[in-house]
Amino acid sequence: MAEHDDTIARAVQALKEPVRIDPSLTSRVMSEIEALPMPDGTAGRATVLEWLRRPRTIRLSPLGGLAMAAGLTAVVLAGSWFAGPRGTPAPVQGIATAQFTQPIQFVLVAPEAGSVTLVGDFNDWNLTATPMEKEAGDGVWWVTVPLEPGRYRYSFVVDGTTWLGDPNAPTLEDEFGRSNAVVTIGGA
Amino acid sequence: MFGSDCDVGPRARVSHSVREDTDGLLVRRVLAGERQVYARLVERYRDRLGRYAVRMLGDVADAEDALQDTFVRGYRSLARCTDPERFGAWLFGILVNRCRTYAAKRTRRQKLVVTDDIAVASASVEHTEDRDASREAIMWALDQLPEEQREAFLLKHVEELSYEEMQQVTGTRIPALKMRVFRAREELRRLLTETVRG
Repeated sequence: MAEHDDTIARAVQALKEPVRIDPSLTSRVMSEIEALPMPDGTAGRATVLEWLRRPRTIRLSPLGGLAMAAGLTAVVLAGSWFAGPRGTPAPVQGIATAQFTQPIQFVLVAPEAGSVTLVGDFNDWNLTATPMEKEAGDGVWWVTVPLEPGRYRYSFVVDGTTWLGDPNAPTLEDEFGRSNAVVTIGGA
Repeated sequence: MFGSDCDVGPRARVSHSVREDTDGLLVRRVLAGERQVYARLVERYRDRLGRYAVRMLGDVADAEDALQDTFVRGYRSLARCTDPERFGAWLFGILVNRCRTYAAKRTRRQKLVVTDDIAVASASVEHTEDRDASREAIMWALDQLPEEQREAFLLKHVEELSYEEMQQVTGTRIPALKMRVFRAREELRRLLTETVRG
């Protein structure tokens, strides 16, 4: 057994030895980012605002997810669904409301979850800004978010650690390589 | 791990008046418009992140591609780095996922030979051949592991992340991570023992 532990220890020691990456990588990175906008978010938000105001087709997705028998299914419901028996929307923090916003309801069926939060482009992927509320008894979590017309990536975070996308929604990969669901809200 | 204090180089230890800027300061300068300051962050983390990428992908060219991709994605998303003082840990999370993507792209890896120039230079001449043979065997064995086991083993034993940190980086629950590490160790033992006996 000791021999086996030594084997792993020697392997770990070898794997910990430093690696020298070609120093020119730095200049290659800097050349590539020269063509990118500054990452301060300010210019980006202005561009997004213009983009959001363009008329576009409504593609609310993934409505079909609600019908799935899967234990975990995420759906996004249109504003008209919002005016239902659920009454006052859950509190939403950190999301600026604007003149052309529509109430969009996000729903996740997760009976085993202890907590669920909604993260996305609309709240800067803040893990605490948009907690979802649990419907008594049926394992349905929901929250309503006012959104301007546009396209948004989003995910659900269950119990603070497990990120859930949606198999029925269009997806876009984020910088961490996660596939996030995408919802597109049409213009007025 | 990846905190800014451990980035203080030998020169700073000699003179306490000389201290490198923290990650947080550099990130804030980049966000304030000093784009070129990002090069200092790249320099700071290039080799440290490079080790994981090289070990995970087993190919220096692939590792450099993944690294470049990681740094560029990190720049584009810098405003979302909610704790700039832990920029390195945040960037490492991006790298782990980029390595998954690059690993998935490869169909089958070519012969795995990783040359660590610094390590080789520090080895004594009489032991160089044995050392290289041993290292090559270790890299070969590592390469035989399923990707998820290789990832878990490297994060736990080489990068020395806690299981909580591993869960944050990989999105995998701790019991599954522990199982992957256990299986990786067992398989590495088996492979390396057979190699020696063979």
